Amino acid sequence: MSNGSSSQGINTRTYKSGSIVYFENDKSECIYILKSGRIILTSQKLETGEEVKEEVRPGEFFGVKSALGRYPREETAQVLKDSVVLVLTLADFERLILKNVNIVLKMLRIFSNQLRRIGRAVREVLGETSTINPEEELFKIGEYYYRAGRFNQARYAYNKYLDYYPNAKYSDLATKRIREIDSGQAESNIAPQPVMRKEVVSHTEELKDFTLDDDINTVPKKESVAQEMDDFFGTEDANNPDFDIFSEDEKSEDISSMFYSAMSMYSQSEYEGALKLYKQIVNQKSLKNDAENILFQKAHFEIGRTYFKMGQYNDAIEAFSLLMKKFPQSALNVNALYHLAMIYEVKKQFDKSKAYYQKVISLAAKEEIGKQAQRRLKNIESH
Amino acid sequence: MLLDDKLFDKFGVEYEPNDIIFCEFEPGNDFYFIQSGRVEIVKIINNREKTLDILGAGDVFGEMAILEEEPRSASAIAIEHVKLLRFRRENFDALLQGNPQLAYKLLVIFSKRIYDAKRRLMILLLDDPQLKIMDVMNMLAEQDPHLDVQEPVTLRVTMQEIANWAGMQINDVQKLLAHLNKLGKIELFNDRVIVRNIRDFQRMVNSRRKSMYA
Repeated sequence: MSNGSSSQGINTRTYKSGSIVYFENDKSECIYILKSGRIILTSQKLETGEEVKEEVRPGEFFGVKSALGRYPREETAQVLKDSVVLVLTLADFERLILKNVNIVLKMLRIFSNQLRRIGRAVREVLGETSTINPEEELFKIGEYYYRAGRFNQARYAYNKYLDYYPNAKYSDLATKRIREIDSGQAESNIAPQPVMRKEVVSHTEELKDFTLDDDINTVPKKESVAQEMDDFFGTEDANNPDFDIFSEDEKSEDISSMFYSAMSMYSQSEYEGALKLYKQIVNQKSLKNDAENILFQKAHFEIGRTYFKMGQYNDAIEAFSLLMKKFPQSALNVNALYHLAMIYEVKKQFDKSKAYYQKVISLAAKEEIGKQAQRRLKNIESH
Repeated sequence: MLLDDKLFDKFGVEYEPNDIIFCEFEPGNDFYFIQSGRVEIVKIINNREKTLDILGAGDVFGEMAILEEEPRSASAIAIEHVKLLRFRRENFDALLQGNPQLAYKLLVIFSKRIYDAKRRLMILLLDDPQLKIMDVMNMLAEQDPHLDVQEPVTLRVTMQEIANWAGMQINDVQKLLAHLNKLGKIELFNDRVIVRNIRDFQRMVNSRRKSMYA
């Protein structure tokens, strides 16, 4: 991307080799163009924390996305060789690229690729890769509006369904619904609002293989304050005894507030204090419920992690081993094994370290922690 | 931003109140620029229609269709009489060549979207449900740059929204929020949460993020 001659009036800055143009997390609305020299952008891969380095070539922009989106810098821009940089304000940048739409098109293409990649990663983490069937979902939108008595909107969705899926599972039903709406019959099926549960049920009963999931039988209504409350407090499980796990139980509150304080201390590098609280939790004699049990297990793990952070590796090994011995089924064990592998790696006992990484991989190959173990294993083997 | 009147002859479409412009899960090929009138963006969540946004003149919507032909993630419904410009993916380049302002606007929208998506991914990658929920609140606090993080902060959000952001079941979210409420760390209301010490949440999440794959 070249900046051409439109750079008049724009600030030029020179940077010495080794200096920093901006740090990750800085907030700024400046956009830069590298005129000459060498600049490298360093960021972390979200999934793994791995460092990613990307060199800016002369003539290229950097710092664009965070300036335009007004969010903190996601990378650190470091100067590798004495460099000359053009510094643009948002207004400068806008003026410059409005004269050169091809730059925008190029950037849009790069941005859209990034967006697609992140979108894919999000769906992967959510496990949504194949669960949604847009055909069925589109039909369900029609059903929603039909039941709400919003027939124009229902007709639109049914028509679109038939446009895109003329011979699919719900095509006949969609055709029937449109006919019902156009003949006014739908109105008598649905009205008066709100519809009684029974009536709606009877009218779905004719659809023998109607497999749409969640409460299709409930009638959608406009939002109300009461519903907003439901949204916040959930509707299904208010009577579930589980709901009360954290209340009316002093002991439990002690454990959970101790756990919270310990986490808070750990995050402020007050490891001794955190350790003391985690140990108090581990020494509790009786556990009242699931919630306590979970925190009890977690505290075992956190003791190991805290010792690890303090560099007391033997204590950490002991803590992780105790966790796995006491709770052989705990979901935390994979992470404990991963920490053991790291400890032996630091201690340069590579055979042990490799064995633990392999164990992690065998238990969680598809998860991020398994992939990370794979990388670290490779790293050990290559040295 | 004003677009050329001539564009309306070529790309203009009009809708009446309550008309659907496009529908959730319909394959998307077009994106729209609002000339006049207001458009509601809605999504049906748990069998209830939720308003995600209300857009007006100068706003762009459906722009994800530029990227790929994926099903729409929400529906767009006309609130009043609206005049729109409708653009197809095929004539996208030609359109932007003639309308650099629109191109610039899209660049800004995409920058924001990338950040939002990344931020969400960061939440989802945390390995502890409690921390995920705290990080949703951190994210919401970040969205308001004028927020004083030394003071208790009020975040406009419902439990369902927190569950969506964190990729969790609402029942689990409910329990964990009840827990934080019980500890006095947050106060729950039907449409908002007050966080007593958001910096504490930020610190906890950051330290875990750093040590996740230490």
